[in-house]
Amino acid sequence: MKKVTLLSRVDTETCRGCSICQKVCPVLAIAVVDKKARVDASACRGCSNCESRCPYFAVTMVKRADPFVVSADPGAYDRNKIRELCEKAHMNPEQILCYCTGVRAEEVAAAIFGGAKTPEEISLATGIRTGCTIECVQPILRLVKAAGFELTPVKNGWQWYGATITAWEVPKTVAEKYSSRGFYFDDDRELLDRIATTPPQGE
Amino acid sequence: MTPKTYPPIQPIPAKPSIYGIDPALVGMRAAELPGIVSLKLSELFPDLPPTIYPNADDSVDPIRLAAEEALMKVDMGKIKPSDSVNVLASHHGFTLFGGRPYAELLKAIRDVVERQTGCTNIRLRAGVGMRFRETEEYMRQYGLDKHYGGKVAGIAPIDKGVAIETEIGTLYGLDKAYDADWIIHSHHSDVREVHFHRQVDKAVKPFGMSYARCETRSTYHQNLGPRAANFIARAIFESKFVQSKFAFAAFLDCGPHGILGVDADADLYALNDRATFIGCQLYGKIMTLFGEIDECVAVLDFPCPVPYVFSAGVIYANFLGANSDLYDLDTPLPGYTWYTEAFYGKANRPILPETPPINPGIKMCVHNYAWIGYPSAFFARHIPTVVVGEKQGELFDTDSMNIEYMDHAVTARSLPQAMDFARQVTGTDKVIVFDGAMGGLNVSESMSRLLIERAPVVSARVGTELLPKWLRQRGVDMSILERLK
Repeated sequence: MKKVTLLSRVDTETCRGCSICQKVCPVLAIAVVDKKARVDASACRGCSNCESRCPYFAVTMVKRADPFVVSADPGAYDRNKIRELCEKAHMNPEQILCYCTGVRAEEVAAAIFGGAKTPEEISLATGIRTGCTIECVQPILRLVKAAGFELTPVKNGWQWYGATITAWEVPKTVAEKYSSRGFYFDDDRELLDRIATTPPQGE
Repeated sequence: MTPKTYPPIQPIPAKPSIYGIDPALVGMRAAELPGIVSLKLSELFPDLPPTIYPNADDSVDPIRLAAEEALMKVDMGKIKPSDSVNVLASHHGFTLFGGRPYAELLKAIRDVVERQTGCTNIRLRAGVGMRFRETEEYMRQYGLDKHYGGKVAGIAPIDKGVAIETEIGTLYGLDKAYDADWIIHSHHSDVREVHFHRQVDKAVKPFGMSYARCETRSTYHQNLGPRAANFIARAIFESKFVQSKFAFAAFLDCGPHGILGVDADADLYALNDRATFIGCQLYGKIMTLFGEIDECVAVLDFPCPVPYVFSAGVIYANFLGANSDLYDLDTPLPGYTWYTEAFYGKANRPILPETPPINPGIKMCVHNYAWIGYPSAFFARHIPTVVVGEKQGELFDTDSMNIEYMDHAVTARSLPQAMDFARQVTGTDKVIVFDGAMGGLNVSESMSRLLIERAPVVSARVGTELLPKWLRQRGVDMSILERLK
């Protein structure tokens, strides 16, 4: 869940249509049309990526006159199915995935059951990955993959390039080779498994 | 010699930044409060080695000298005059001891490389965390843009990426970090985020962070677990791609009390072992001492986001976990790290009951001056927080990472009012100030008495019991201890 209080605004006089804003928007709310960036106000989730990466300082973030909340309700779907999807992605349903918005795994699962098939659609539905936009991309990809959807990055975008290794995929040779240097591969995998299989506090 | 108390040490000044309030609005610094005194780290821990900065003249000349001396010993033969070189830097360095020492190192690297190799196409690429314009500001503030002839760029984790094939599959670096023939890894041995890296491969970490794309950073913070995560940086550093470009590393050697010197080496792992030792031994003592604090009001008063404000070389985020031994790798989750935060359930308590709480010794937090740009609502939710001045609260309300921070904090009109409120509510007069005071720390008199009393016991315990364990857990050559005897 995210309280959306900010909106991206483009100064079209300053904008040179370089399209970097378009490449870094996690919800595809900004696009260059006729060499100028245009914001879809209803889709903007106020992350500030466009403002922070514009080389010409053509974007500012303004307070919305009418802030709103975006969320996906896990209660609207079968609890067992939510749990099943989360466990497939090695997560506890109540695990927080986004440190900026507090979105939990179960909410992402609910967004997927509600029809979201890509990380961008999930961000649009829940607000996840619209704070720092950095740290929660992998768990989103894990859940999308666990739901059976193909991971296809946005064409020509820099939103994300691909899923990476997880604790359950570390080659044994790597774990053995480096375990004496303070990398606790097996112990951490067991810890994550315990988290994933502990009954949620809400049950 | 028993440590004495002194008048407060001058805090690091407020800095103009898009991430903080206008310095003119910072009405009063905590060091100006009545009853605040300072302690010198060199008196609390007399075995701390001498420093070259801070110094009586407030001069960075000793940094320049140490850097040139260390860099002259490095073989730069592979860099040809017609080559391009990226000097890779990270934002953290600019937060250390006022920022000038790190800036001076970066200037010295450019000058020595040009002089030794004849190469002139030397660029500065400075990585960030979540504040994507942060190093752009620093490079201007410290004149690095001019020193590098305009060949500078701030690089952010959402910028164009480059796929890097590693032992554990594809990871992603930042294209602009690697778009040169050679890279020079310019960093420091300050420990900073021990709660994340646990002093495992700290010297290598930027390859998985400030030089890396968001996919890689997210792998570190979400996919591998709190102690395995550090392998991400090593995997990238050891890739053929990075090895084909790596020239050498140059580090500011830092202790909690100041800059010790400059270390440069083409063997990053040798440098890493030395940094690990410094990180465990020198910082381990003050971290362990902070764990002895039974009750206090923590005052944030430094130009950095909430978790990164410093006291005695320790960041606030580490104080939040000081109730457990952050260096002990047998403890998977400290009171605060992102994995710990992630594993709080909907009932607002840890999913695993054995997870330690956020340091219960922190009874209240007075946020006098700290920046936005790091998700900090978790802190305000778990520690009663008073923010000084409405402008600061308004700034947090405009930060996409902190929309909920002020939902959990209250506002006071002035710092003295906030401190009065904190004392009345918590009943403690022990105060610790996170203001970056160099060479020591600013505290209340009652806190100074506690720290003076506990320091010798902590020092002995770290030396004889904890340090050997910490180094053993990290596979550091134990003979380094024998050589120091």
